[in-house]
Order: sequence, then structure tokens, then C-alpha cells
Amino acid sequence: MSAPVDNYIALSAVLFFIGVVGVIVRRNPLIMLMSIELLFNAANLALVTYARAWVNNAGHIFAFLVITVAAAEAAIGLAIVAVTFRRSPRVDVDEVATLKG
Amino acid sequence: MLLYLVWLLPLLGAVLLFAFGPQLKSWAGPIGSAMIGVPFAATLALWPEATAPGGGLHLQPMVTWLNGWSFGLQLDRLSLIWTLVITGVGFLIHVYSIGYMDGDRAFARFFAYMNFFVYAMLTLVLSDNVVGLLVGWGLVGLASYFLIGFWFERPSAVGAARKAFVMNVVGDVGIMFAIFVIVAKVGSIGYADVFAKFGTAFTKEELFLVCLGLFIGCAAKSAQVPLHTWLPDAMEGPTPVSALIHAATMVTAGVYLIARFAPLWNASPDARSLVGVIGAITAIAGAVLGCVQWDIKRILAYSTMSQIGYMIMGVGVGAFEGGVLHFLTHAFFKAQLFLTAGIVIHALHDEQDVRRMGGLRTRLPFAFIAMLVGVLAISGVPGFSGFFSKDAVLYETLAKGHPYLYAVGVITAGITAYYMFRMLFLTFLGRYRGDVDPSDLGIRHPELAGTAPAAGHHAEEEEPHHHAPAWLMTGPVAVLIPFSIFIGWVQFGGENSPWARFFGDFFGAAATTGPVPAPPFSEGVSTAIVLVLVLAGFAVAWLRYWKPDALQNAVPRLRTETVRTPALLWNAYYFDAAYDYLLVRPARALGGAFVRYVDPHVIDAAVREAAISSQWLGHLFRSFQTGLVRAYALSIAFGVLCVVAYYAVVFGGGR
Repeated sequence: MSAPVDNYIALSAVLFFIGVVGVIVRRNPLIMLMSIELLFNAANLALVTYARAWVNNAGHIFAFLVITVAAAEAAIGLAIVAVTFRRSPRVDVDEVATLKG
Repeated sequence: MLLYLVWLLPLLGAVLLFAFGPQLKSWAGPIGSAMIGVPFAATLALWPEATAPGGGLHLQPMVTWLNGWSFGLQLDRLSLIWTLVITGVGFLIHVYSIGYMDGDRAFARFFAYMNFFVYAMLTLVLSDNVVGLLVGWGLVGLASYFLIGFWFERPSAVGAARKAFVMNVVGDVGIMFAIFVIVAKVGSIGYADVFAKFGTAFTKEELFLVCLGLFIGCAAKSAQVPLHTWLPDAMEGPTPVSALIHAATMVTAGVYLIARFAPLWNASPDARSLVGVIGAITAIAGAVLGCVQWDIKRILAYSTMSQIGYMIMGVGVGAFEGGVLHFLTHAFFKAQLFLTAGIVIHALHDEQDVRRMGGLRTRLPFAFIAMLVGVLAISGVPGFSGFFSKDAVLYETLAKGHPYLYAVGVITAGITAYYMFRMLFLTFLGRYRGDVDPSDLGIRHPELAGTAPAAGHHAEEEEPHHHAPAWLMTGPVAVLIPFSIFIGWVQFGGENSPWARFFGDFFGAAATTGPVPAPPFSEGVSTAIVLVLVLAGFAVAWLRYWKPDALQNAVPRLRTETVRTPALLWNAYYFDAAYDYLLVRPARALGGAFVRYVDPHVIDAAVREAAISSQWLGHLFRSFQTGLVRAYALSIAFGVLCVVAYYAVVFGGGR
């Protein structure tokens, strides 16, 4: 069973990496939110893979938690995007820097 | 149980008078007196128990704190003598104060303090352990502070009170040091334990250090050179206070301390020599200063210092019975002298300068008789109490092998006679000089010479108010007179006297460094020498102050004498000036330097630097807050990478 686990984890790592790069390099908030979804689901994939590999349901439960959090995050994130879009038509997160110290 | 009454009634009185003083009005005096009188009667009732074989009455343990730290009360032969004097003489002085303090605004407060003082003193002498002793010792100093500063409207009284307190605290530190060593080495605080174990627990040096610490305390409280300077200033307090505290009881606490720790001193001949020498120096230094004072209370203050020097010398050389006897006789005749001086001061409306007295023999005949008896007693005229006790101290000093101390003591006896008779003659003989212009008497600053009327005292004199009956003041003195004459007779008969039998071998025998040479002459010869010197002192006083032509030219003579007073003596050997230069001024200079340099450049600078550096830190962290979400994401990713790398390095090697 060891080879399939390695494959799943490799897929998870690749997805996670794509997500990280997406969050860091893209300036469109919608793309960034989608990248964050990638991060969540990469983590979910890893959790579920290990849960199956070690026959331990804690991983599944964590995956459910992550899905809940992802839903909440998407709701709040899209609301913020909508608000900022109303303030200025340009959609660029670097413009939204009012908390600059 | 009766002993608790003796101990706690004065405290009850103090609390009562302090809480309800204004309501009690003139009842404060009688109540305060009763709170001392009842313990006196109770102590008399306890006499048989206290003198019973087996160490007397011992209430132990009253309270146990830690293992070996039990507090109790103890009434043995030594504390019996002290308790009787404190409550007995204290009672008389309380009664006297009802008359003396009559009309004072703070009448009840005065009695509250006096009761508190008696309580503190009883704590000191009744305690059966070193810690209780220290507590009493400190409380006595506090009570003394209250009473010296009783008229707190006067800056001089406040200063004197502070001085006394500070000096006493210097002594307290010495005692505390000794107690620390005792507790560390013996492990328990009861006298009985300490005396049983100190021989094995202490090395010779430690024993000497303990004795030295105890003696520092004793020197401060008993006004021994060089810690004596507070005593003359303490005369700022009301006269009954001077009588009770600075003559009869508190200042003799040092004598009690040494007598109580007799076994320790017995075992340490070095410490004994030190104490004897200091005692002798104090005796003669005080006596010489007594010769140049003009304030009647200061004369008595210096004589007190000198007499305590005798006591300390006595207990120092190992003549405990003699020293304690001198305490006993001195308590009576010095209380009497002070109270009589109080009558004189009261009659002259707070005049204390003997140059402005004179001729009071006809005006105050009772005071004259009382003062005469007191002077005869303190001078050691045969038949009066001082004769027996002083003789006992002096001859014991010689017999224990201290001829030099003996010589100093004998000379002091002559000087004592001189200045005491000088005071008597100046006050009561000749013509009244109160109406003479002060400058003719050489008094340059009457307001500085202790002659100014008291600020608080008799402030309501203008209003006609009822005067306390005169017997309240004369009565206690009349009671003291027979004691001043006869109490010394308990020593009559030497080895078989009631006094010697009372103490027996209570104090134990003193260890000596070598064989003591036999005294060169017998006690009779010694008495004769002392008497010759006393007579000489009297003769000089007579020549200068009582001879017909001396009386006639009293005013110009006093003027010359005032002007020609040696500066060394007038400034009391410059002790105060020395303390000023050696301690007060350096301390002030140090304080000034701290204010000028350390405070702005170290303390304030540190605070300023702390503020500046946190501001700078804020600036630094603010630069990370770019507001760029992607930068945050990058730093989070970097952080995660670091965590992952850490786990990979630490745990990854196993696979």
C-alpha cells in the first residue's frame, strides 16, 4: 500500500505548491481565493490519505472541519471582495493597503 | 494569672485613654494611675512566688510559634525588683502628673503615653526570652519618642524626640545582631535554654560579639558614651517624663540587660572590661558636664548619665548586686530630685534656668527639704541610700581587680557632690534672681536657654481654671523621701545583708583572666576616701555658691562663670558637632549628590531610555506592516517552510 500513499501525498504537495504560488503571485482577489481553496483541498487530500493509510478516522473528521472552514472562508472572502470592488473598480489586492503601519 | 494582670493592665489603660481620652476629661489621670497602681499591688502579692526556689514564677509557654520559639512571662528575683520599681515609682509619678499636667490640652494623651511606656517596660523585664526582650526594648524606645516629643508644637522637642529615637535604634540594631547570633547558634530563644547551652554553642569570639551587640543596645538606651547625646536633649519632655523615663526606669534598661545576661558576661572577661571602662568614662564625663549646666533638668540629666555610668561599671566588673542596688536607690532619689525640680519649675512658671532661681528655700520649703534629701542621697552621704549603693559598687570594683576604674569612680563621687550641691545652693539659697535682667546673669539668648515658656503647656493659663490640689505633687515626693533615705539600708551588713541574701548566687560567679590581687585596703578605708572627696566637693560648692560673699555677689559671679565656661564643656565635648560632621553632613552631602547627579542622570535617564527604546522598537515593527496581503502570505509561507524544514531535519533522519 505504500506506493499509492506516496502518489496521493505527491499530488497533495503539488496542489499545495500551486496554491501557495497562486496566493503569492496573483493580485486578483478572486484568483487568490481560488488558490486558497486549492490549499484547503490539498490539505484535505493529505488528511484523508493518511486516515485511510493508518485506518484512523481522525483524518476524516479533520477533513470535514476543513470543508466547513473553507465554506465560511469563501463566504467572508467573497463579501470582502465585493465590498472592495464597490469602493474602487480596480481589482488589485495591493491597492487595498489601508492597514499599512 | 495575676502576672498577666500586671503586664496587660497598663496596655489596657493606654488603649482606653487613647480611645476615650476626650470623654474621660479629668478622670484620665486617676484612671491612668490606677492602671499602674493595681499592677504594683499585684506584684507585691506575687513576691513570695517570685522569690520561691526554682527560678520564680514562670508562665511558659504563653504562645509557641516555632519549635524552640515559645514566648512566656517570667518573674524572678531580678525582674521582681525592676517590676516593683517600674510600677511603684511609676505610680507615684502618675499621681504627681495629675497635678503637674493639670490644664494641659492633651492631658489624657499624656497618661495614655505614660501607661504605654510602663507596658513596654514591663514587656521588657517580664519576658522570658530574647525576642520578647527586644520587642519591649523597641516599644520602650517608641514610648520615649512619644513622650519626649509630647509638646510637638515645639521644634526643639520634636528634634530631641527624633534624636532619641534614632540613637535608640542604633542600639536596637546591636541587640538584634546579638539575638541573631544567639538564635543561629543556640537555636532557641528562652533565657533558660540560652544560658544552658551558650557554653558549648559559642566560641570565645562569638561570645564576645554577642556581648558587644548587647552592650551597644545597652549603651544607646542607658546613655553611655558615645551614644549618650540624646539624654540631655530628652529633657524637652514634660518633667514627670524625665523622672519616669530618663531617670527611674528606661535608662536603666541597659543595667537590666547586662544583669539578665549575667552568665554570658561572667564567661567573657573581655566584654566585662569593655563595659566597665565605658561605664567609668560615662560616669566621669557626665559628672564633669553636670558642673557647667544651668538648666536644672539638664544638671539632673547629666547626673543621671553619670549615675548610670556607675551602675554599668558595677555590672561590668561583675558586681551585679551592687549595680542593681544602685539602680534601686537611684530610681528613688532621682525620681524624687526630678519631681522636686518639677515643683520648682511649676512654681516659677516654667523657668528652668538655675541662674534665675535662688532664695526659694522660704517660698518652697517642702521642695527644699525634698531636694536636700535627694542631693544628700545622690552624693553618698552616710546614712542615705546612695551611700550604700555607691559604696558597694566602688568597693566591688576595687575588689574585682580594677584599681583605675575605682579611682575614676571615687573622683566622680567628689564631682557629683560638687555639682549637686551647686544646684541646690543656686536654686534655694541666696536671693531670688528671677527679677534680674537675664543679660546681667550672662544669659544671652533667654529663648534659647530653655527659659522660654512652653508653647503648649498652660496655653489656657489665661482662663481661670481650677488648679489641682498641691498634695498631688507633694504627696508622691513625700512618699519617695523615706525610700531615698532608707532603701540603701538593705545592703547594711555586707555578706549577710538582706540584699546579699535576696540575690544569693543568682548571678553566678564571674570568670576571671587571672588571680585577682587582694584589694590594697579594706572597705572602711575606701568609704573614708569617698567621704573625703564628697566633703571636698561639698566644700568647693560651698565656697563658690554658699559663702556669704558668694551669695552677695551672686549676680556678677554667675555672669563671669557663664562667660568663662570652657567651650569644650559647654559643647559637651563636641560630641554633637562630631556626629554632625562625621555622619549628618556626609549623609546630607551624599543625598545632595544623589539629587543632583544620580537622580537626573541615572534614574530619570533609565526611564527616558526605556521610553525611547520602545518607541524605536515600534518604528522597527511598523515597517513590517506593509498592508500588502501578498507580502503577508509570503512571510507565512516562509514561516511554514521553516517549520517543515525543522521537523524534516529533526525527525526526518529516521527513515
